[in-house]
Amino acid sequence: MSDRAMLDWPPDADDSPVPPSSWGRKAPTAPVLPWVFVALVGVLIVGRYLVAPFITSPALQTWSTIFVAICVQALPFLVFGVLLSAAITAFVPASFWTKALPRRPYAAVPVAGAAGAVLPGCECASVPVASGLMARGVTPAAALAFLLASPAINPVVLVSTAVAFPNRPEMVLARFVASLGVAVLAGWLWLRFGRTEWLRVPRRTGERGWRAFHEAAQHDLLHAGGFLVVGGLAAATLNVVVPRSWLTAVADVPWLSVLVLALLAVVLSICSEADAFVAASLTAFSPTAKLTFLVVGPMVDLKLIALQAGTFGRSFAARFVPLTLVLAVLASALTGWMLL
Amino acid sequence: MAQGLILLLLGGAVLRISAFSTTYLNYVKPGFRPFLIVAGAVVFVLGVVTLVQEWREPHVPEAERVRRAEQAGQRPDGHDHGHGHDHSRGPRVAWLMCLPVFAIFLIAPPALGSFAAAREDSSPPPPPPEVVEGYAPLVGDKPIAMPIGEFVGRAWGDPKRSLTGKQVRLTGFVVRSKKKDTWYVARMQLNCCAADAIALKVAVRGAPAPPENTWVEVTGTWIPPKSRKLPNGTVPPEMTAVSVNKVPQPTEPYE
Repeated sequence: MSDRAMLDWPPDADDSPVPPSSWGRKAPTAPVLPWVFVALVGVLIVGRYLVAPFITSPALQTWSTIFVAICVQALPFLVFGVLLSAAITAFVPASFWTKALPRRPYAAVPVAGAAGAVLPGCECASVPVASGLMARGVTPAAALAFLLASPAINPVVLVSTAVAFPNRPEMVLARFVASLGVAVLAGWLWLRFGRTEWLRVPRRTGERGWRAFHEAAQHDLLHAGGFLVVGGLAAATLNVVVPRSWLTAVADVPWLSVLVLALLAVVLSICSEADAFVAASLTAFSPTAKLTFLVVGPMVDLKLIALQAGTFGRSFAARFVPLTLVLAVLASALTGWMLL
Repeated sequence: MAQGLILLLLGGAVLRISAFSTTYLNYVKPGFRPFLIVAGAVVFVLGVVTLVQEWREPHVPEAERVRRAEQAGQRPDGHDHGHGHDHSRGPRVAWLMCLPVFAIFLIAPPALGSFAAAREDSSPPPPPPEVVEGYAPLVGDKPIAMPIGEFVGRAWGDPKRSLTGKQVRLTGFVVRSKKKDTWYVARMQLNCCAADAIALKVAVRGAPAPPENTWVEVTGTWIPPKSRKLPNGTVPPEMTAVSVNKVPQPTEPYE
């Protein structure tokens, strides 16, 4: 905002002495913006009592409830991921990662994937963390393996899966095996075929310490938060528009049910810590189809696609998302056939 | 400056619904509150810090910063933003974060109600949660208050049929049915947030339907299904109502 002020010269600026006398002062809009802000807060508070009671369309209300719920529910995980990523950028020296991860990239990918098991968060947290890892010089393929594995195989998610499927520990095992497998495979494929120009590796200032921490956290939060809202908008719309009965109609065809639940996982964008309960409630579907839902959901969904495109660039997302989706469907079909 | 204000708005809105009211219960599970308060506070503080910094050194252009860094003896290329935009301006997509704030204040999204519950009308309702150890027998002559989920579970999944002949009291909102003489008392069940809500419904007979979406307390008895052949989970269980009372919406609208 404040830099816009440079353009807001009075029309007679050409005649005034160069540089204009406004230079060197504090940005002239600075005293205005706080009042705009106060006015906005006033409008919001008054609107809460004057506007909200008149918005009674049930479809709009349901849509906005789901939209706000997705944003509100994801925010703590996003904040956690952003803070962790900023801490990695600001306080962990780059040399740490070269020591911690194997020197050879092909060996670093599975190690980074397995390391995903220690980050207790969902997929919103893993995108900024992976970007922070890349910014600190970790091989992109290894950071991507971490990105895919961590929301699916961390202890919180595995415990919630075990709770949602009582008496079926093989579901937890299958989820772990299939998710880690997809993450490592996707990492290796990216290492072999990926090109550097597809991926926008976020680079950070050379600064360290609290200032860098604040700058990284603020930038990531504004960025990732904005794309989270894009994903929330899409997911809430599809959630309200597409009737679930369309989906259950195809539950009896085995291969089709796998594809349909993969699609449902992408569309619903449910947090990976809750998706097991939703999968368990889809009783009409085969265990393999439910496994597909659990493997695809944490790796590919609408809000995640928006977050990835925003963080790593569109040309990255356009290649990486289909790759992950195909791998995830194949891996869960195979694992389901062998284990379930 | 603007980015500090966006963060301030978002953090403030999240704190408003979690720390200073119970509105957050319309969107997420009760256990989520501490996380929301922490997240809201972090975002708010980050906004304050951004504003304070901006106030202390109001917008330094990139070239000026590099020059200053050089003067201070640092490498100027240390400030290379690989993706070609000036960080002091902030990404434009960040403005979208105002949308949930506007939605929270201007639409004030209520808890999911009959519209969401009726959407699932054509599909079979979810199965009851499997209770491994079985249900405890119901004792006493007074009406027993129980969650709708438990009623559905006992009606479908209890081999001892513990509901038979017992008066129970259910609290939920009213959903119209296609059949004329019945309506549903329903409650949404959350696993994590409102995006994964599932409708739990019990069909009520023997009482006129209150207006759609009113919260009611229904006292009545279970009607055991006539045929046992119907597979569990394809129809909502039924009850005969003795009394139906209007109640205010509970603070915790979901089960």
